[in-house]
Amino acid sequence: MTKGYVVGKVADIPAGSKKLVEAGGRTIGVFNVNGVFYALRNVCPHQGAELCKGLIKPYVVSSGPGHFEYEREGEIIRCPWHQWEFDIKSGCMIIDPATRTKSYEVTVETFGVSVEEGDIVVHV
Amino acid sequence: MEESEPAVKNKKRLKKTIIDCDIHNETPMNEVKEYLPRFYRDMVDSFGARNVSSIYLNGTPSGRLIEGESRPRSASPRTTKDIVNHYRSKLLDPFHLEYGILTASDYSTHTLPDIDFAAAIASAKNDYIAERWLAEDSRLKGSVFIPKQDPALSAKEINRVGSHPDVVQVIVSSGAEKPYGHRFYYPIYEACVKHNLPFTIHVSMEGLGMNPAPTGAGYVTYYAEYRAARPQVMAAHLASFIYEGVFERFPDLRVVLQESGVMWIAPALWKMDQDWKGLRHQTPWVKKPPSEYFRQNVRVTSQPLEIPPDRELFDKLLTSIHANECLLYCSDYPHWDFDSPAKAFPKLEDGLWERVFYQNAADLYGLPQRKG
Ligand code: FES
Repeated sequence: MTKGYVVGKVADIPAGSKKLVEAGGRTIGVFNVNGVFYALRNVCPHQGAELCKGLIKPYVVSSGPGHFEYEREGEIIRCPWHQWEFDIKSGCMIIDPATRTKSYEVTVETFGVSVEEGDIVVHV
Repeated sequence: MEESEPAVKNKKRLKKTIIDCDIHNETPMNEVKEYLPRFYRDMVDSFGARNVSSIYLNGTPSGRLIEGESRPRSASPRTTKDIVNHYRSKLLDPFHLEYGILTASDYSTHTLPDIDFAAAIASAKNDYIAERWLAEDSRLKGSVFIPKQDPALSAKEINRVGSHPDVVQVIVSSGAEKPYGHRFYYPIYEACVKHNLPFTIHVSMEGLGMNPAPTGAGYVTYYAEYRAARPQVMAAHLASFIYEGVFERFPDLRVVLQESGVMWIAPALWKMDQDWKGLRHQTPWVKKPPSEYFRQNVRVTSQPLEIPPDRELFDKLLTSIHANECLLYCSDYPHWDFDSPAKAFPKLEDGLWERVFYQNAADLYGLPQRKG
């Protein structure tokens, strides 16, 4: 059974940003990736760092030495400790998806108000 | 002919022939110089071959096994024919070599600032080896010497001799001005791939001639220290190939690490794989864990094989370096730290033995299955 926790207003977390919240006794990072909200447990599966405090980055790829290209803008969080990269949308480590942190469903409840004033609800 | 003692004791195992990937055939300058252009021949006659004299000791005064092994003492003047016969009677026949990869002697070529001279010596050596060794015994396969100080000239030499049917690799010394993954060397790798020749890095010449100090901490004092430092130089080359993206650029290139130790590779791969998890985005052209490139593109020869204190550890380390695909037996004959094919390894299970003593080398060098 999941329970919904209201963690803030849509306007609190503009696209490209994140907010750390408490829900169900856990610290959870809520991310706005291009207008869609995602939530990850704030614990890195590697050595337990506060994953959601890391840098939000694109996925850097390359067509050959010296070339850098950006993909998946704003979809990657790099753990603040050892810089492992995780997919914000799934909580999976990019190069080894079996290594993952818990991700939670997020909904926006508008109850007749504008989207900006709607509640962000994390389902834990 | 009498079989040497180890071969007798291990008759069963060595009933099968093997491939030895590192045999130092002698390359006496009095014969090699016949292949030099006149100007350089005159120069060698007048001034000597400009060999880098050893600043470190070796294991024996000559660096060779002491048993009158490496050269027939009676032969005077000793010709390459005599020497080839000697190698036949001491190595090729008693140790049942199906094939032996010749890696020659004297890598001074790789230390000389006079690059044209280095190139002339390399070419002369290649021609000498082809005519006086490879043509003498069909079991022998050769290595291309190049003036690695100049990649364009090196590529030219590879293109000149690389399609000789008995030439199976390009060889350089581990001592180098730049780590071998550097793009400076790309012309060499293009030529290697074009001729389907592995690029073999053989220990030696670190700290000699124009090559930088043998360790990052400068010059060591003793020969044993010099040997202890070998893995760090080779580790730098290995990491360089991987992180510079050479194997992405040249996916068909094969690199052989020779005589700088074997077991250090296990923790080196663990470390690179671990670092890659966090640092991948700094070199995004490195698309796989470094150990995967090792497995795909790198091979390592066995001598001088380290024997860990317990057997279980030995087996685990072999697994960690992907010995089943990547390890190739070699003797280093006739050098003093020679590894006997019968005695250097603890008993291996048959499948692994076959990979290490034959099939991995056959796959790498495109050598046929055993005759008969
Ligand atoms: S704790 Fe997150 S990468 Fe190590």
